[in-house]
Amino acid sequence: MSLNDRLRGVFVDALQLDADVDVENLKYRDIDEWDSVGHMALVAAIEDEFDVQFETEQVIDMSSFKVALDMVKGFGISE
Amino acid sequence: MMLLHAGARLHDAATGEVIAGADLGQRVQEQAKAFADLPPGVLFARISPDVAGVLGYLAALEAGRAVALLDPAQDRDVLDGLIARFRPAAVLGAGEGDPPPGYRENWVRADAEGVVPHEDLAVLLPTSGSTGNPKFVRLSRQAIAANAEAIAEVLGIDENEVAPTSLPLHYSYGMSVLNSHLVRGATVVLENSGVVGRGFWDAVTRYGVTSLAGVPYHYEMLRRMRFDPAKYPTLRTLTQAGGRLRPELITEFHTKMTEAGGRMFVMYGQTEAGPRMSTLPSERLDEKLGSVGPALPGGMFSIRAEDGTEITEPGVTGEVVYRGPNVMMGYAESEAELSLGDVTGGELVTGDLGHLDADGYLFVTGRIKRIGKVFGNRVSLDDLEQIVKAHGAAAAVPAGDKVVIWLDGADKDTCKAAAKLLAETLHLHVTGFDVRGSDGFPLLPSGKIDYRSLEARA
Repeated sequence: MSLNDRLRGVFVDALQLDADVDVENLKYRDIDEWDSVGHMALVAAIEDEFDVQFETEQVIDMSSFKVALDMVKGFGISE
Repeated sequence: MMLLHAGARLHDAATGEVIAGADLGQRVQEQAKAFADLPPGVLFARISPDVAGVLGYLAALEAGRAVALLDPAQDRDVLDGLIARFRPAAVLGAGEGDPPPGYRENWVRADAEGVVPHEDLAVLLPTSGSTGNPKFVRLSRQAIAANAEAIAEVLGIDENEVAPTSLPLHYSYGMSVLNSHLVRGATVVLENSGVVGRGFWDAVTRYGVTSLAGVPYHYEMLRRMRFDPAKYPTLRTLTQAGGRLRPELITEFHTKMTEAGGRMFVMYGQTEAGPRMSTLPSERLDEKLGSVGPALPGGMFSIRAEDGTEITEPGVTGEVVYRGPNVMMGYAESEAELSLGDVTGGELVTGDLGHLDADGYLFVTGRIKRIGKVFGNRVSLDDLEQIVKAHGAAAAVPAGDKVVIWLDGADKDTCKAAAKLLAETLHLHVTGFDVRGSDGFPLLPSGKIDYRSLEARA
């Protein structure tokens, strides 16, 4: 599974998204599910899935799916 | 001027606007004057953390108009239901939508006839989590003022304090942060992005924020963010209320703050008490870990035993009863009930179980009523079971900051659908509802569901 798809799966599970949500273009607070509470669940889920630990700055800067994907790649995790 | 000390300041983080001192007082008074032309009745304020939202609230208090604080994101059908039941004189912060029947273009009621709210009534707050008919808690001017003063006193709030709106203003804890700062001439930073938002932490630095208020999930979040007070040299006070925080997290944050020269306060309240009832002094936190502190100045706790007798002796567990000037006048479920006077006599039977120690410090140990907390919001567990009954028989139990709902015979998709339904109905985040399939429920000899064993399993 590609990194993109893995992260997509994490978003769908953690935020309990419907099938029709355009996950790749999602931004923080675009939808009810990704509010501050959802953000915490999401950060926890990404950390678990990729076995990484985000810094404070990364948690508050993770403002979209694309940013999250770049951050995960930044940990040296590849496809 | 009610709640507004001459030195009070509002800082709108989104626009950069600052309103302070005489200017703030004048703008409140101007708006208060405009309220005189409205028909009789309560004002509804859909209150956002911005200048317009706070000015509307303060102006209502100044004008002696009872004001109900509502979630600006509340669904239209819920708002319409409240409007039909309480017939507000006007809706502040109504936004773009068309007004409901009987209301003019500017959301002012067309009918000049209406019930005049009781003269002592200042603020109405919805009780959270109720499904069928949300009702309002009626708080008097005296209760609001007394609680603001008592909180300011125990936290040592002065004109140098700078508090951000980390909680919604229609939530009693959020309102109390605003009130207790304005009353001491402190600064309130109006900020909307929440503690995981970049905007929030930029505002902390830019405006020299000195304190942060949070419910348990905020502390879970701050922990995950590896919050380090060294990075925010002005931020030296943390307060926590809105449910029980895990003792290890209390200790962790207390240690962090103490090492940085700061303080951590654990508090206890209910909307019905306007809302604060107690605060644990930071310097006694280690020694009294697990306690929510002694009653606020002017208030008092007692413990009601099963036979109805009330005691203040240490070590006896029973229902927590609070008496104080901040206790609500009562509830209102309709327009007619807005005219009611005080029906509580300053006494609040909390529905919580607990005991006092020899120093009068309260330890809350459980609940009598079937109540859970979802991210600081009180929900009736029986209501949750009702909401999901189309998906099967349910048994709901509290689990820290969430609730666990066991759903008889449900598969994964059914559980997911039930969680979504709960989130949508109650306007709380879906991750607060942990719905799990079960094969029947453990029963008591009486045939009733054994909630205690379910709670242990959660």
